[in-house]
Amino acid sequence: MNDLSKLMFHLIASGSEEAGAAGHGGEHAAHHATSYWATMALTGLTLLVIGFLLVKAKSGFTNRTFRGVISQSSEQLYLFIENMCVGTIGSHGRKYVPMILSFWLIIFFSNVIALFVGASPTSVLSFNLGMALVSIGYVQYEGIKSNGVFGHFSHFAGPKLGGPLVIISAMIFVIEIISEVMKNVSLSLRLFGNINGGHQAVDAMNKISFLPLGELLIPIKLLTCLVQAMIFCLLTCVYLSLVTHHDEDHGHEGHGELAAAH
Amino acid sequence: MSQTSSSVPTPVKVVVGLALFVGGAFLHSSWHPEFYKTLEGQGVPLDFGITLSAIGVLLFTFPIIDMFFVKPLQAALHERNSALETTFSEVEELRNEMTTMKSNYEKQLAATEADAREKINSQIKEAQALRQSVMSEATEKADALVKQAQEEINMEKNRVLADLRSHVTDLALAAAEKVVAENMDTDRNRKLIADFVQQAEVAK
Amino acid sequence: MNVIGLGIAALGVGIGLGLIGYGAMQGMARQPEAIGKLQVAMLIALAFVELVFLLTVFVGAPGLK
Repeated sequence: MNDLSKLMFHLIASGSEEAGAAGHGGEHAAHHATSYWATMALTGLTLLVIGFLLVKAKSGFTNRTFRGVISQSSEQLYLFIENMCVGTIGSHGRKYVPMILSFWLIIFFSNVIALFVGASPTSVLSFNLGMALVSIGYVQYEGIKSNGVFGHFSHFAGPKLGGPLVIISAMIFVIEIISEVMKNVSLSLRLFGNINGGHQAVDAMNKISFLPLGELLIPIKLLTCLVQAMIFCLLTCVYLSLVTHHDEDHGHEGHGELAAAH
Repeated sequence: MSQTSSSVPTPVKVVVGLALFVGGAFLHSSWHPEFYKTLEGQGVPLDFGITLSAIGVLLFTFPIIDMFFVKPLQAALHERNSALETTFSEVEELRNEMTTMKSNYEKQLAATEADAREKINSQIKEAQALRQSVMSEATEKADALVKQAQEEINMEKNRVLADLRSHVTDLALAAAEKVVAENMDTDRNRKLIADFVQQAEVAK
Repeated sequence: MNVIGLGIAALGVGIGLGLIGYGAMQGMARQPEAIGKLQVAMLIALAFVELVFLLTVFVGAPGLK
């Protein structure tokens, strides 16, 4: 697996200047930092796989009963995501299904590709940071859209306090802003750590003896693929529910939980 | 069902996504700050070029997946659900129809039964009346026959009595003739015999 | 020294994950009808605890090499 990944990496990165830089930096740097063009190529590969599967799935939608395993699985996936959105966000969560479903597809198939190729978009921290920024940015956008600019930012200040306690409100505001930034970091680092850390654990175990003991971790990594895709989507749903909860009456308690969770 | 994930039009997303993609490539090739190396030493390799490009890629991937896959899937699911609903409503209608038909049938059955019972009752009554009349007629006839028979018996008895009387008279006359022939044939004797006959009739 | 630190972090996170699993399992056993909600909450909690270890690894582990 490792050899294949290196081969893939060199094939992908040979045209760009990074291959040279990685070569100078040694195998270590080349292995850990997948270069820009390699990441983009892997992203393209992931999107191609997703597109291929979706075309397959779409061809089964013509009948009243969905034909084929892929179509039926896609229906189940859609229902799972819809259930998650509606269950976490509430009745208005159905309009976020396309985005959450896209996140799920990209993360899951990227994780699975990482099992075969050794590197994939989700094992690159910068790509994950991009996804987290899109997720959290969209959450902020939705919050501003549903509460107004002032309403959204006054949420960060916590409960209304009068007099000299305004200082505490300001402190809460700063902490909330930091926690909002840390959401990005936590989302991206979690995904990166789980996927890339899995690879490193496999590498480390492979080095123990001549037997490829690290491959025994593959089942756990397969589980991680699924769980991480779900966690990312679930957390996005939770963040969305926290900023769009204003029409439910238990909303402010939920906000308190947000402050406590971070 | 057909709500979009955001109100930003798709072409804008695609254009911004492409711009971010190119911008990411440019940022990657042109900007190499010092903290990249520090972070990479920490095991956290970071490249904002990739981040920017990833955002771009995601921006035009989401609408494509939405348009290409989620919308048809939702449409297919909706179509299937509506088909199922119509089937269910049809079944419900048919069942309602069946229940009304069944109740009608039951009503009809009850009516028929009552009708039949009524008819049977009336027939029974008629038959009873007929029987009554036939019986009374028969008794009347029998009574008449009995009366006629008694009359005939009476007449016969009277006739026989008269016959007997004349016979007795003749016999008595014959006997008396014998007696009188021995004695004498007078009117006084004849009168005595008539008196005797008279007495015998009274004694009878 | 770093190895010991990593070990301590793994120990703490292991205890935390175990506690989450323990609580979730007990809750599921007591209320089987709430398994779906409990699983979601459990996974979120697991993710947050796991993040602590990942942060430890990325801040502390590279010094090992």
